[in-house]
Amino acid sequence: MIDPLISDEELMAETAQGDEHAFELLVERHQSRMLNLIYRFVGNRTQARDLAQEVFIRVWQAASRYKPRAKFTTWIYRISANLCLNELKSSARKKLFFSESLVGEGRTPNEENNVSPSAEDILLAEERSRQISHALRSLPENQRMALILKRYDNLSYHEIAKIMECSVSAVESLLVRAKGNLKEKLVFHEK
Amino acid sequence: MKCFQAQKRFSAFQDAELKPQEQERVSKHLESCSACRERYAEMEKVWQALGDFKEIIPQPGFYGQLVKKVNESYETRSPVGFQWLFQFFSSPGVALTLLLAGILIGTFLGNILVKSDSFPLQQNRIAHSQAANEVFSLRAFDPIPPGTLGDKYLRLASYSEEGRR
Repeated sequence: MIDPLISDEELMAETAQGDEHAFELLVERHQSRMLNLIYRFVGNRTQARDLAQEVFIRVWQAASRYKPRAKFTTWIYRISANLCLNELKSSARKKLFFSESLVGEGRTPNEENNVSPSAEDILLAEERSRQISHALRSLPENQRMALILKRYDNLSYHEIAKIMECSVSAVESLLVRAKGNLKEKLVFHEK
Repeated sequence: MKCFQAQKRFSAFQDAELKPQEQERVSKHLESCSACRERYAEMEKVWQALGDFKEIIPQPGFYGQLVKKVNESYETRSPVGFQWLFQFFSSPGVALTLLLAGILIGTFLGNILVKSDSFPLQQNRIAHSQAANEVFSLRAFDPIPPGTLGDKYLRLASYSEEGRR
């Protein structure tokens, strides 16, 4: 039985020895965060699920080579960010356009907690969510990634810089531009 | 602090990434400037609106599907015994080292062959003279015995030559 308080780095060491329970615990800890990061970036639940699973496949495959130089979370965020950016490029090559259907693969927390808001509330919330997703996807990739990491994952500029492999001042600049662009997009949606 | 200075720092101020002194200066400016306050309030509104993007919860089968994919990835890969070999040769450093080693060995062997050229030449000469001896030793160059078919043919040929003259 694995101690639930064990650190991610120790779990990675166990995973490197082929311990599947350690890997399962790692997945449990980080799946929601990675799934939502990718979902907010690509705007499609099925694609987000597949990419999130790809992140963990890479974690499993790299376990034996993993050296805890940086925090595990920084490392796994970097894998996710790179996958998102690469996926976007390959999707652009395949001329795929993301479209989100309301019948998705994942479930929202309200659905999970069996809270039953009115049908109108659900539709309004879905519409607001769709508008924000659309506005986010209209941002350039780097601005979008920096904004998602800041707004939804509440990471510091320093952590974002490490994940995106750029300087802190570059992150600051990306966020200034992202916020400015987003203001225009969301005003456009309100009209 | 002037308005344009404060506005340049709004984003970092909102993210609490400024040094405490600077954070305080922007805060004081906002208290005293209604135009900047309004502008910052708009920025805050957009930031809050982003919270309406609903998060999703992974399906219960997430881990099961993941394990299946991990196993599939092993099945589609090369045989286990040779994985290290492919990984070893796929490294750019190893490939470059092998290329350089190949060039060096090729140059070394080439130099050896060029230096030892005089010896094979002598050998060639010997070989050539042996071949010539063998050719000259053939009976093809002996005088044709009289009365044979060859003798008759030569006579006929010389007769027709004389006839033409």
